[in-house]
Amino acid sequence: MRRLRAVMAKEFFHLLRDPRSLSVVFIMPLVQIFIFGYAISFDLENIPVAVIDQDHSEPSARLIRDFERSTVFVLKPLGGARREGDFEAADWALRAGRVKQVLVIPAGFAGRIRQGRTAEVGLIIDGSDSNVANRLYQYDQMIIQRFAAGLKGLEDVFQVKTKVYFNPESRSVFFFVPGLVAIILLMISAMLTASSIARERELGSAELLFISPLRSGEIILGKTLPYVLVALATGSFILFFSHFWFGVPLRGSLLVLLLFALLFVLTGLSFGVLISTLAPSQRVAMLGSVLATLLPSILLSGFIFPLDSLSAPLRALSEIIPATHFLRIIRGVAVKGADLRHFLKEGASLAGLSLITLSLAVMRFTRLRRARR
Amino acid sequence: MRLFYLVKKEILEIVRQRELLVLLFLAPIIQIIVLGYVITTDIKNVPVEVVNLSNSRAAGEITARLQASPLFRIVKLSEKPEKAEDVLRRGEVRAVIEFRDSPGRGRWAWTLPEVHILMDGIDANSSQIAAGYVNGIIKDYLQEKLRRAGLEMPAEAKTLIRYNPRLRSINTMGPGIVALLLTILSVFTTAFSFVREREQHTMDTLLMSRLRPMEIFVGKAMPAVLIGLLDMVLGIGVVILWFHIPLRGSVFYLFLASLLYLAAILSYALIISTVVVNQSQAMFFSWFSLVLFLLLSGFLTPLESIWARAPALAVLTEINPLRYLIKIIREIFLKGNGPAFFWRDLLALGGIAVVLTSLSLLNFRRFISK
Repeated sequence: MRRLRAVMAKEFFHLLRDPRSLSVVFIMPLVQIFIFGYAISFDLENIPVAVIDQDHSEPSARLIRDFERSTVFVLKPLGGARREGDFEAADWALRAGRVKQVLVIPAGFAGRIRQGRTAEVGLIIDGSDSNVANRLYQYDQMIIQRFAAGLKGLEDVFQVKTKVYFNPESRSVFFFVPGLVAIILLMISAMLTASSIARERELGSAELLFISPLRSGEIILGKTLPYVLVALATGSFILFFSHFWFGVPLRGSLLVLLLFALLFVLTGLSFGVLISTLAPSQRVAMLGSVLATLLPSILLSGFIFPLDSLSAPLRALSEIIPATHFLRIIRGVAVKGADLRHFLKEGASLAGLSLITLSLAVMRFTRLRRARR
Repeated sequence: MRLFYLVKKEILEIVRQRELLVLLFLAPIIQIIVLGYVITTDIKNVPVEVVNLSNSRAAGEITARLQASPLFRIVKLSEKPEKAEDVLRRGEVRAVIEFRDSPGRGRWAWTLPEVHILMDGIDANSSQIAAGYVNGIIKDYLQEKLRRAGLEMPAEAKTLIRYNPRLRSINTMGPGIVALLLTILSVFTTAFSFVREREQHTMDTLLMSRLRPMEIFVGKAMPAVLIGLLDMVLGIGVVILWFHIPLRGSVFYLFLASLLYLAAILSYALIISTVVVNQSQAMFFSWFSLVLFLLLSGFLTPLESIWARAPALAVLTEINPLRYLIKIIREIFLKGNGPAFFWRDLLALGGIAVVLTSLSLLNFRRFISK
């Protein structure tokens, strides 16, 4: 225990002696939360749409107005000749990405409505961003369905009432900011420790560690635990910032959240240490920790993409990514006001993951040591 | 010639570390393949609970349709009212679909229940898409009913989706992942270059050599350009051969854009490498910039709405080189566009590359004169 404390003290001094790096650890996440809190959102607004109205009738004007009135679309006039030229201009604008959708109201639109036959509306959507295209398709359907129902006085028949819980305005901030807290926390913790042993190996001071009477477990723990404080401090810092600045609610217990954050940070730090024992130089440690943590925790954790649609093996893979568990926890506790008992499984997974990675790191470190003797 | 030796030294330093080689060439391929399967914005298997409080036949029939649809997974069917909020808090379902009998819904009241979709608003994007699917299923059902009653729908949309007709997410994301990995690998191989030499006190040796500053600069950037291009070829190969994403446009412009992008991003990484004092700072700065580049590039989320929300930050997206590369790559891959369509983006990318390279060179002059 005393020896463990000595290693931790040494690591602490190391941290304090480099205040510039330490301040970077606090400032960068803050800047990131600030920028992304504003910038990242799935909200569709101002989507440019070109309109080709070949009917020029009262109903066609009304349909166009329906599109115009929605906050999603912005009508964009097409340059060039009218009539025949319209299609070419629209095709060009679609290919150039100037518009994302073209609305075509064919001639005879009003006539068919009057005769009681189904009048068709053409929509051409740019599918190159599949998510956006999918959502545009849904909005279109909604607008046109409402338009059609309005013509027959059937609005209330088609009405489906929707109620959104926890986030009634469907603000993306509630989704992304807690997620960002998780991602940033994981990256910070993995990087804090990723270079620790690799650095000692590069500078040659690892030899001293190797021959010291310290047990491998003590060295590994001693190099991990001091950073728990740093990472946890960063975590609470950005958590409070997102609460007070972006109004992300904190409906559950703060204590529960911090408890889980502690576990999560420990998992991230253990990942870093493991990478550090595997990497022969800081460069490798760095690249390794970024490849192992950045993309998977952004893309495979439910941060952006829902995990429901994944196939079984991939869902299993997502379970060994620490961010997956903490994302569920932070969203649940902060936004939904969930409780400790809702997340026992996630907590156990995090604890298990850090235990496994720490033991792997100890094993690997022991092997390195033996190779030197 | 002298330059050649420096490049050779840099490449040797990379090749000598087996782990680094694995990370540079094997890891990206694995990542593209795994991530290719993961990144799907397709919403399927949405877990929902259905609460049927209605006596109508329609409720049962619509439920059967929901059950048959691959879009939903009905976790629980119940006939007792439940507090949706509690159900959603447990997090097992994304939405509760409730059918209720409603008096006074006009002439259709006898056939149709009232439908309520109660959704978990946290993942607003997925919830909205899921709600749209429910709407679609109900609409189709009602239209059939109406048609049987002799009523045609007065207007209907015929939708054509261009460039990616089945809306496969991988088509959208695959080429983007290649651009992303290109960024990660090249930033991390160069951001360390000078700071490492300084930490190991070999920088002075390099400066005392007969190499001109310009040569040192180019020599440090060159290996990363080579690695980047090689990775690009590998990545594009995987994307085309493994995921069968069509490459409809010109390979020449694909590489031209990538080269411009590499010039920009490597100059940026070299600036990092001269302003930081140790390798762990280099790491933090590169990571910070990477996340910034990635999340402000339009790769994952649409950029259009930023102008409405935070115009000041929208400027950041305009000077983000990755944004242009991703746009050009998507256009070349999916739309088969030529430069007539993306010359503006190419020009912007070129401009950013020129500015960053000159900044980086100036900064390097200052760095070695110290």
